[in-house]
Amino acid sequence: MFKSIFVCGLLLLTSSPLYATERIDIVGSTTVLPVVSQAATLYHQQHPNITITVSGGGSGVGIASIIQGTAQIGMASRNTTEEEQAKLNGKVDNIIIAADAVAVAVSKAVYESGIHALSVEQIADIYRGKVRNWKDVGGLDARIVVIDKEASRGTRHVFAKAILGNKHARAAGASIISGSNNEEQAIISHSNAAIGMLSNAWLNNKVRGIDVIVKGTRISPTIDHVRDNTYPLARGLHILLPKHASPAAKNFVQFLLSEQGQSIVKQVGYLPIE
Amino acid sequence: MNKQRLLLPIVLLGCIAALLGGLSLFWFLTSNAWNFFQSFGISALWQTEWYPYEDLYGFLPAILGTLWALCIAMLVAIPCGLAAAIVSSELLPNTWQSIARLSMEILAGIPSVVYGLIGLWVLLPFLQEHLNLLTGHSLLAAGLILSLMILPTIMLMAQDALDSVSQEQREAALNLGLDWNQLLIRILLPQAWPGIRSGLLLALGRGLGETMAVMLVVGSLDRIPQPFYNILEPAQTLTSRIGREMGEAAFGSMHFAALITCGLVLAVFATIISLSAQRKGSIA
Repeated sequence: MFKSIFVCGLLLLTSSPLYATERIDIVGSTTVLPVVSQAATLYHQQHPNITITVSGGGSGVGIASIIQGTAQIGMASRNTTEEEQAKLNGKVDNIIIAADAVAVAVSKAVYESGIHALSVEQIADIYRGKVRNWKDVGGLDARIVVIDKEASRGTRHVFAKAILGNKHARAAGASIISGSNNEEQAIISHSNAAIGMLSNAWLNNKVRGIDVIVKGTRISPTIDHVRDNTYPLARGLHILLPKHASPAAKNFVQFLLSEQGQSIVKQVGYLPIE
Repeated sequence: MNKQRLLLPIVLLGCIAALLGGLSLFWFLTSNAWNFFQSFGISALWQTEWYPYEDLYGFLPAILGTLWALCIAMLVAIPCGLAAAIVSSELLPNTWQSIARLSMEILAGIPSVVYGLIGLWVLLPFLQEHLNLLTGHSLLAAGLILSLMILPTIMLMAQDALDSVSQEQREAALNLGLDWNQLLIRILLPQAWPGIRSGLLLALGRGLGETMAVMLVVGSLDRIPQPFYNILEPAQTLTSRIGREMGEAAFGSMHFAALITCGLVLAVFATIISLSAQRKGSIA
């Protein structure tokens, strides 16, 4: 009995190098996730000996797991904060693989009641709790469901900086806190009076993006306006690659930047890097 | 003899491992919480603002939310669980009794994320529609989901306790001319009380520590409901806060220490509950 277990163990030990599969763990932003997970599937088909696991959690989680060394590659949809930068201590390459627009998203019913654009000031008033009903900004008579995001989320940093003036600004008008893009999308589509922040690739029939009015100019959240730098809530989508990363991890990031990787970026709905 | 020699070290080893596990957990919780309290003082426990980026760590909203959710859950689950146990143990024939038991055991075995999703897709739209809420995310939703989750514990333990009351006692009581109400209230429930009580304690413990299901339906809004007894508003519980923020908090940071302190507060609650129950007599 013990002998056979011993033999089995020995066999496992000796045979494993023959079938060595390398695993790359990638963690972070749920905005970057669709690109990376599709790329990972394709990459695995081309390199069957490399397994890639991709999981979400948000930009803050992605950056924290690189700091703590629990993942090989991090995803972030925002720049690192000074505090995070200090902890990363120059040991990580921060690579931008795409750009996208954070759309101000509203429920279908709100959009159809006539809200097609809001000024930065109006959106700020909603998030500060000064405007609580849609009819005060020209829409239907319903209390606004103001969706805020967890404080470390990349989308929130970008949104809060552009609308409220500071990436950590408080949103006293928030009626609920959401986490991932999926969760946010679900809440907006289930409500008839919601406003939230969502990457423009996640908009659909029930979750509509509205235009943002900046100093009198109305700008829609499209990739074209990200390209010409006019949309105020545009941002880069980052990959964090430790300098001591394995060759396989480095190779996968190169794959993301290659023509194949960039065509996935385009297909998901983000702006490929030039 | 030979077997005994083998068994004793194994038992001792297991015991030491359990002891070490408990001690290291206690050490981990208190050392982190100590760091936190040294910087922010004990007053953080009753402050109301939680903004980690501004170094503000107020525990009161989450503590209040935890207690509210637990209260609602117990208020719903205790009467339902006890009633179900009484019906199942005293009134139902044996086959139905085992079916009821089995279904409760299945209920107890469902992972908590599934309860959360049931809450998300069924309970929230229901509350939103019928109570005219913004999204349905609320303390009430969290309490109701929790009550469903702790119901099996209460019911199964209470049923076991009722079953263990000997048949002679029932017969003696009926022979003395007691009717069913008197039998239940004067004989069965008092006799079964130690077992029922430990069921309630286990349920409280589970309700206190439940994270995933609560996180999905409570709304995670770090704010005291206005007014404070408004259970129809989104709020935050200690567990849901830990679940939402632990991933982003760098190990060793003040934010991390604050979240561990949330864990310590939960542990202290659990200890208080079990101590207050033990004082009145030993647990069955």
